Amino acid sequence: MNAHHSLGTSTDWIVMVVYFIAIMLFGSYFSKYNRTTTDFFFGGRRFKWWLIAMSIVATGVGSHSFIKYSAKGFEAGFSSTMTYMNDWFFVPFFIFGWLPIIIYTKIRSIPEYFEKRFSPSTRFLATLLLLLYMIGYVGIGFLTMGKAILPLLPPEFTILGMHFNITLMGLVIVIALIVGIYITYGGQTAVIFTDLLQGFILIFAGMLVFFLGLDYIGGFGLFWNALPTSWKLPLANFNNPPGFNFVGIFWQDGIAGSVGFLFMNMGLIMRFMATKSVDEGRKAATFNILFMLPISAIVVGNAGWIGKAISVMHPDVIPPDTNPDNIFVVVANIISLPGVFGFVMAALTAALMSTVDTLLNATAAIYINDVHRPAKKWLSKKIRSLKEEDKQELNAARIATVIFTVMGVLAVIPFESFPTVYEAHGYFHSTLTPPLVVGIFLGVFWKKFTNAAVIATFVVGVALMILGMYYPRPLIEVFAHGTDYDPQHPYTYIGALYNLFVCVLVGVLTTVTRKQQKKLIDWIKTTPNHKSLMSGLTFVSGGLFVIILFNLASLPVLLLLSAIMLVLVVLSSNYYSKYSEKTHTEGLTVWGIAKAKEMFKGRKVNDRDGEIIKVNWKIKESDTDLMYFSKNDMAKMAADPGDLVYLCDARRYLGGLKSVHSTYGEPHDEDGIVYITQEHIDQGQFVKDKVLTAEKEM
Amino acid sequence: MPSFENTWLPFIYLYGVGGIFFVSGLIIIKKSKAVNFEKKRHRYWWKITYFGFFYYMAIHALLILAALYL
Repeated sequence: MNAHHSLGTSTDWIVMVVYFIAIMLFGSYFSKYNRTTTDFFFGGRRFKWWLIAMSIVATGVGSHSFIKYSAKGFEAGFSSTMTYMNDWFFVPFFIFGWLPIIIYTKIRSIPEYFEKRFSPSTRFLATLLLLLYMIGYVGIGFLTMGKAILPLLPPEFTILGMHFNITLMGLVIVIALIVGIYITYGGQTAVIFTDLLQGFILIFAGMLVFFLGLDYIGGFGLFWNALPTSWKLPLANFNNPPGFNFVGIFWQDGIAGSVGFLFMNMGLIMRFMATKSVDEGRKAATFNILFMLPISAIVVGNAGWIGKAISVMHPDVIPPDTNPDNIFVVVANIISLPGVFGFVMAALTAALMSTVDTLLNATAAIYINDVHRPAKKWLSKKIRSLKEEDKQELNAARIATVIFTVMGVLAVIPFESFPTVYEAHGYFHSTLTPPLVVGIFLGVFWKKFTNAAVIATFVVGVALMILGMYYPRPLIEVFAHGTDYDPQHPYTYIGALYNLFVCVLVGVLTTVTRKQQKKLIDWIKTTPNHKSLMSGLTFVSGGLFVIILFNLASLPVLLLLSAIMLVLVVLSSNYYSKYSEKTHTEGLTVWGIAKAKEMFKGRKVNDRDGEIIKVNWKIKESDTDLMYFSKNDMAKMAADPGDLVYLCDARRYLGGLKSVHSTYGEPHDEDGIVYITQEHIDQGQFVKDKVLTAEKEM
Repeated sequence: MPSFENTWLPFIYLYGVGGIFFVSGLIIIKKSKAVNFEKKRHRYWWKITYFGFFYYMAIHALLILAALYL
């Protein structure tokens, strides 16, 4: 395969360095808006939809990357767009189900949802799985960045008499240092604003490559005619080749990936938590999926299409055997002038940085919420003030970010063995997402889904997935839709269907037998040695998991052991965890959204439609979190005392950056004036004499 | 001319199997009363969900036709 080195000129490097410094300065300006850990992680639930929609572009584009889609565009053509255009099927579930739940329940992380919906032990298991998923995602990001920058560098260099070979891992470590420093001092507000800027730049840079490429080829007509018909099809061949086929990618990305991205990608979910309301979240999500994803598909894949057309027309310029993972950089270098190439590469690497910093920020949020706080609560009884506590958590979050950055670098090692980043990402998705996807999805949309069922999904589902890895034939082959068996990387994508199936099977079987389980547990509790009996059974189930993990028996025996383990895990879960359908589903499933809204407000919801009004602010000495409007203004907003209000700087281009949520107090008689406290002014960063808008939230 | 497995089979599978998930979502949302048709905004978002499905279906169909006949 044709590898490239030392692409670009010194002008390109200058442009790249200047771009990075500018982006970092831009991001650090917004770190002043991090007053608490809530601001650091969630941006304070205040932003308008367009700001969130654009900042999601940078995260989405970065995570799916110019590198891997250009590689597939070069190998397979327009079907590289498949993964960007198969997300709509789960939009109803998201905008009417999950989005209101995450906002109204005020959860700070996915594992916290698992605790509220199920039990603390489920939260623990979910934290483990989610951290693995997030660290793996960070690893994919680092690998992609390394592969993007490597072709720009010489194979080796000498400095101060010392000789260095430039390796992918060495480069990844340097990149990780830069990313770690940036995110540690930025926080969510900085990430949102940096991503907003980069969202625009990315779209521009990607389109620039497309139009410069078309110009290089000689126009759209020549480009279209140069490509074979099979390259122009938007969906890949149904089931072959194993490295890129429709049916595998449908299950791996369209089903597991879409649910994973919308329901458990903490980076994305934190963006939605930063929107000012559920309606703004819906606007951001639908705008992004309907318009920005198809544009992003062109932006990230077109270098591969252009590369293919050039390789057909001028094989001496781009040989057909060029390494697909290098094609974006190679094409950008050929079609751009010095400086322009540097700009495009800066935009690409900065986008990848956006993805990684979003993920690292999200991973640190999970650590603080699901490891640090519970552990501290358990270890120390010392009571600190809220401010002291917050300062300590902010420091812990920064240290955690550094540690997860290191773990992300280590995760690059296994992914490096795949032929392209696309395959590595596909395998990662199909392997790590199914248990959590099934757990969240059934938890949100099936009220009867029990705590024992989700624990069984996480433990026995994972055990059956491990068996699938050891015995792809016959276990996954049954689901393969005729996809050829590749002994090197068996069933990279369609493995997701098997994994989803076994997790759903375990979850459903456990749920439908819940009455029988209860009877059995009630009977066990009447036996004299039930505590020792259950400890023994739990210990045995751990032993069975180890036997499966290390493949210590033949397949039929391992399947039998899995079935026994299922019974034992379900019994242990029912015995040790207290779970009641009534208390653990109230406001936490799609069947109780109205209740969730009421719980969010703390009293009955006021759904009357009101106007958005403009007001000037005056300060009022008070310790209570109340805002005071005139009677007439309250009537215009259709608001009553005790309702929730959103107050925002009227300058639209700020996108809600200077805003605050509060509660209506008793009205006064001065129309156009709102009385607010110093705390509101500090939180909203309001400027004297600048007009504000006010609206009733609920 | 590419085979059926290259052209319309993936399209049918995408909107057939994907459509089952999509319709299941609509049914669950409606039955659970997560959507309240008395609210104007909810009616708007409900229509948008339908629009999105057919919007993507149309894009894919047009792209296949363009690849085959243009």
